[in-house]
Amino acid sequence: MLPSFSFAGSIPAIRRSAVDRAKENRVARLGMVLASRRDPALVPDIIVQGSMYMKKTIVAVLVVLMIAALAVPTFAQPKIKVLFMPGVTDPFYYTMEKGIKAAAAKAGVDLAVAEYPKAWGPENQVPILQAMVAKEKYDLLLIAPTSADALKAPLKAIYDQGTEIITVDTFIGDGDYSKASDYSFPLSYIGSDNQLGGKQMAEQLAKLVGEKGKVYCQATNPDASSVQDRVKGFTAGVAEFPNMMLVGVEWCLDVQQKAQEQTLTALQINKDIVGIFGLNVFSAQGATQAVVNAGLSGAVKMCLWDATLSNIDNLKKGNADLVLAQKPGEMGSLAIEWGVKYLKDKKNVKVPKKVIPGFEFFTRQNVSDANMQQYIYQ
Amino acid sequence: MNGQSAAAGAAGGFLETRAGRALASNWAAFFLIAMFVIFSMTSGSFLSIANFQNVIHLQTLPFLLAAAETFVIITGGIDLSVGFVTGLASVCAARLIQLLLASGMPGAQAVSLSVAAVLVLSLLPGLVNGLVITKFKVPPFIATMGMWGIANGLALKVSNGFPMTGLPDRLPEIGNGYLLYVMPGQFVSFFAKPEGFANSRIRELIRLLPYSLPFILLVLAVLAFVLRRTRFGRHTYAIGGNVDAAIRSGISIDRHLILVYVLSSFLSGMGGIFNVFQTGIGNYTTFNAQYEFFAIAAVVIGGASLAGGKGRIWSSAVGVLVLAFLENGLAISGVQPFYRYIAVGVLLVVAVVIDKIFPDLR
Repeated sequence: MLPSFSFAGSIPAIRRSAVDRAKENRVARLGMVLASRRDPALVPDIIVQGSMYMKKTIVAVLVVLMIAALAVPTFAQPKIKVLFMPGVTDPFYYTMEKGIKAAAAKAGVDLAVAEYPKAWGPENQVPILQAMVAKEKYDLLLIAPTSADALKAPLKAIYDQGTEIITVDTFIGDGDYSKASDYSFPLSYIGSDNQLGGKQMAEQLAKLVGEKGKVYCQATNPDASSVQDRVKGFTAGVAEFPNMMLVGVEWCLDVQQKAQEQTLTALQINKDIVGIFGLNVFSAQGATQAVVNAGLSGAVKMCLWDATLSNIDNLKKGNADLVLAQKPGEMGSLAIEWGVKYLKDKKNVKVPKKVIPGFEFFTRQNVSDANMQQYIYQ
Repeated sequence: MNGQSAAAGAAGGFLETRAGRALASNWAAFFLIAMFVIFSMTSGSFLSIANFQNVIHLQTLPFLLAAAETFVIITGGIDLSVGFVTGLASVCAARLIQLLLASGMPGAQAVSLSVAAVLVLSLLPGLVNGLVITKFKVPPFIATMGMWGIANGLALKVSNGFPMTGLPDRLPEIGNGYLLYVMPGQFVSFFAKPEGFANSRIRELIRLLPYSLPFILLVLAVLAFVLRRTRFGRHTYAIGGNVDAAIRSGISIDRHLILVYVLSSFLSGMGGIFNVFQTGIGNYTTFNAQYEFFAIAAVVIGGASLAGGKGRIWSSAVGVLVLAFLENGLAISGVQPFYRYIAVGVLLVVAVVIDKIFPDLR
């Protein structure tokens, strides 16, 4: 506020031009009219009384000051306006929002957070997004697109109006914005490499089971690219260990009961399964419950994806052995940092088209460490 | 129509025999037995007590929903809201338990109070469905589809969109417990494994009769009795068979239909509570669960007609088992997941075709 006042004070003579005086008069007249509407008896007084004239002057000066104050930021660096559009109501995106908020405060940008869609999918996300951008124009949009295809057109329209876009966690098209295509307009994709994550899970599980034995993958929706990538990575990872065998991949479609049923069936077919990869929160919970029911806790090593409270709980109770944490907070802060850097110096800053923050692994040994707590989604 | 009557004609000769009639009217049960035989041959691990107990235990919720749907379908209606009412009840129960525990109430008390409260609460969606259907003449498909959305939205609101943890560990222990633990030649233990018996050795134990089995048998027996032997049941069939006749015979159609929808949502709520015991967390229903569709499918496979007037509780239970064992048996025999979806789809169509060819059975 200080600079704005000194600015207004230093050049009032210039700014109090004829236009301003006309404004003053108009404001003063408006005051009179309003007053007269309230009480007709006041009308003659207003015209003749000197004290009322003083008031008019004060009002006018205040108005000028306000206009000046409003005008100042546009003369100085305008504040960058950022919109965050999460994918769904979910601890993962809450954690991402925390990272974005902290980075936004540090960078001194204005941040708006759109309403969290109640369910996953463009039919839920796009209307919220469009309402937000219709109300206000943003310089930067951070969005987790809920469909690789359905979000292309709405995002292109927003981009064409001058908003830079960074997709976080998920992407449009195949996520490769480095080659020319109808979806290469976003600045960058900042998110996990799911295939790499699946592979690392296989390696971690191999360590836990002594690099031998049958393992099983409890997956979820076969139509989601992130899920397919995790399965692909896990399959490739297991294949690198000649004494390990992936005996099955089942799809629970985000239904925990189904995951429980499928895992029990898998354990029925192969009674010597030594390790299971639970691929998202529902698969992980169902698979863990199945192993507990079968009395195999400890005997079957469980590797679970995503550091949700329920997965961390199971790790602490001894029902799971490893939990992979993505870094939603870091995805958020990186998105702000790169976006702001670019907007401040569009000519010289080159934003990498893909930024991968990596993973953290929770084990029973480090689950209570103070520095690991930041990676739990809550 | 021609195709139908031709097919019925071709089957007519065989149908005259008593064996033919028995086979046609109980085809689902025979199909189930045939599956048992085939899958026992195609896979060594299908025919085992552990597998059968697992499948039946995990079908507790589908049994409840199919029973609910049976009453509704017999009246000629449909209830699409059962799946999401289940989720709503599950998260409400979890939230209540969390709140009561946080207020310092002992675990057992908090759980029983929450269960009672949610059972009462679960009457509401059915009451609303029933009133909308009878008083405003909204078709059941639309009215319950409205409740489908409302219950889902409320469940997501209550749970903030993610599974609710932090409930007592005793819940899943009870929900997944067995009546009998037998170590051949050494001991028999009731209700819990013997003190000090290592968790890692549970596989050596023979565990018999999951708690869920007597529970679901009792519920289904009561419902079957109500449907077959009470005035409430007879009125249910009467309304589905011929509304005009039912009205002339003095049945209060509106009141009865409201009660049927209330019963349906009550059973769904019971399913939601069972869900909390089975999984140990409060879980909203995901869109992919499609509990309502599988419940309807089970009822139809069990021989009920979507036109109303036909259906039995035990037959619907057989329908649930057919779907469950088809999935289980194919999986154990090594059939890939996506082919299993096709098999379930084909079975459903076959069930409806049989219903069309032999409309007069049952």
